[in-house]
Amino acid sequence: MWGAFRRNTVRSFAVMLRQRWFGISMLLLLAAFILGPMLNVLIWAFTEARIQPPRLVPEQWSLKWWGETFARLDVAGGFTTSLGISTLVTLIAALICLPASYAFARMEFRGKTPLLLSFLMVNAFPRFGIYITIAVVFFRLGLVGTVPGVVLIQLVNTLLFMIWIPTAAFQGVDRSLEEAALDAGASRLRVFVQITLPMVLPALSASLLLTFVGTFYETQGALLIGIPNVTTLPVVMITLINHHIRQLGAVLSVALWVPSLVLLIFAQRVLRGGTLAAGFGL
Amino acid sequence: MARLTIDGLTKHFGSVVAVDAIDIEIQDGEFVCILGPSGCGKSTALRMIAGFERPTAGDIRIDGDSITAISPNKRPTAMVFQKYTLWPHMTVYENIAFGLKLHGADKQTVRQAVDEGLALVGLAGYEQRYPAQLSGGQQQRVALARAIVLEPKILLLDEPFSSLDALLRVRLREELKLIQRRLGITTLFVTHDQEEALALSDRIAVMNDGRIEQLADPSTVYARPKSLFVADFIGDMNLFSARTGAEGVRLGQAVLPVPEGISPNREVTVAVRPEELIPVSADTPSEESWEIVVEQTMDLGHYRKLLGELPGVGPVKVYLSKSAQHQAAEQRLRVTPTRYLLYLDGAAPVEVVNRPPVPIR
Repeated sequence: MWGAFRRNTVRSFAVMLRQRWFGISMLLLLAAFILGPMLNVLIWAFTEARIQPPRLVPEQWSLKWWGETFARLDVAGGFTTSLGISTLVTLIAALICLPASYAFARMEFRGKTPLLLSFLMVNAFPRFGIYITIAVVFFRLGLVGTVPGVVLIQLVNTLLFMIWIPTAAFQGVDRSLEEAALDAGASRLRVFVQITLPMVLPALSASLLLTFVGTFYETQGALLIGIPNVTTLPVVMITLINHHIRQLGAVLSVALWVPSLVLLIFAQRVLRGGTLAAGFGL
Repeated sequence: MARLTIDGLTKHFGSVVAVDAIDIEIQDGEFVCILGPSGCGKSTALRMIAGFERPTAGDIRIDGDSITAISPNKRPTAMVFQKYTLWPHMTVYENIAFGLKLHGADKQTVRQAVDEGLALVGLAGYEQRYPAQLSGGQQQRVALARAIVLEPKILLLDEPFSSLDALLRVRLREELKLIQRRLGITTLFVTHDQEEALALSDRIAVMNDGRIEQLADPSTVYARPKSLFVADFIGDMNLFSARTGAEGVRLGQAVLPVPEGISPNREVTVAVRPEELIPVSADTPSEESWEIVVEQTMDLGHYRKLLGELPGVGPVKVYLSKSAQHQAAEQRLRVTPTRYLLYLDGAAPVEVVNRPPVPIR
């Protein structure tokens, strides 16, 4: 009996080990797949001269391209443009979407669910296809190469985050909490400002953050509609990678990672607890 | 402190009539319960009084002045909700102070009122807690304090204790009654729990299908339910359908006398409270009493509940006091009704007291 027990233990341990090995190798593969390119860019950002294959690491590490990159006029200009456009897009999206999402959460009207789902549709198709068709229209309207054109196309991207997350958040506020405040003598505006808004603020700030970050890094729409006059920072980065010394593009992309990573981690922390999931329970 | 008049209050939701022309007059300092099954329209009625629903028709008056057109934030009513409705981002202090500040009270007054409110509900010292740090019972106590500190003319409560466990519910009920008595505040309380309504109310409005079936003090509602619905809904009741005959109502082996003026051959429902079926000695003539076949005996603390069969009639419930002779194991029990009610369709019930069944000739 003891022998059987030991045999079984050994066997199950072997099975476990086999399963774990599979898991570990998958994890490593995934990590290499995701982190590999990032590591490559990171290495390039600190490389003195072009890395000659089959070498994987540079002969000489250097910080010189960092100074070069940030001294460039197109980088500085791209940064200002991106900052301005992202701020503008976020503000306009907030003005349009926040009242809309309150309406989605609190009012009953015909076609509410289809309308809400239609904001998902934008994400269901290849983005670039939509951009091309919009670009045709924009060209006729003279919007190509203008700031309003870029702002408009980037607004398309913001709809999902700026409608769904706030709608879910507003739905999460129990109506009787608002009624209790109304009952205590507060006006509807005060109820909104002092009761509803504070309760949805974490989710709202997360969606604003996601919108801002998403817009700042959005490339396809900005590239298609913005050129040649409006060049945002990611567009500058693409141009640098394509036409100039590779290190410049690498430095810029590393410089762009860090803030977005921090902001996204923050947004993810705020959104934890199924705020988005609640929105799907239409 | 005020008088509340509800006059022909009606609410339609599309084609559904939720509340159908109800009238209630609540006196200054009175405690009235609206009692009814879920979906009977009681909560809708309360929400119309608080101002959250617009009545389809009818009027609500406080001390004779109509408040029907006034928005909820300007009404002199305060409500305690069924759900926990403390604002989660505010402390207990801020929750209670919220309405007071809106009414323009200065800091000192607010502080004092909050202190008094919390003391009243037995939660002094909880000012800085957040709602999430309180138990369900404590949250509803704070909600009660939040309503009371506003010194409303009418206090409205919408099943405030229904999400609490049974023991806590009874304790909070007793506390509420004491507070209401002390403050003399006119109170309207909505519940589906008849025990709660019987324990709390000066008067009970029993509601069914949007209408008030009976509005009376608890003992009247219990002793003389105005309709079959009330008879069935409040407390335990034995209901036997029968027909009137020449001598009375024949039930099993006996005939129950009926007052004069009730014509023979009419459908009638006989209603007998289980505690008004009293045991009699086994040698009582079978024509004057019923022999019940006991199927199940439940010991409910201070009394026993017997479930059995009245031969030829149907199932029957009997409450026996512990001092009664009947042993739990006995299979048969002879009882006689001391009081019963006769419901003839459409008419008010007829009460018959101390008239045991008579032998059939």
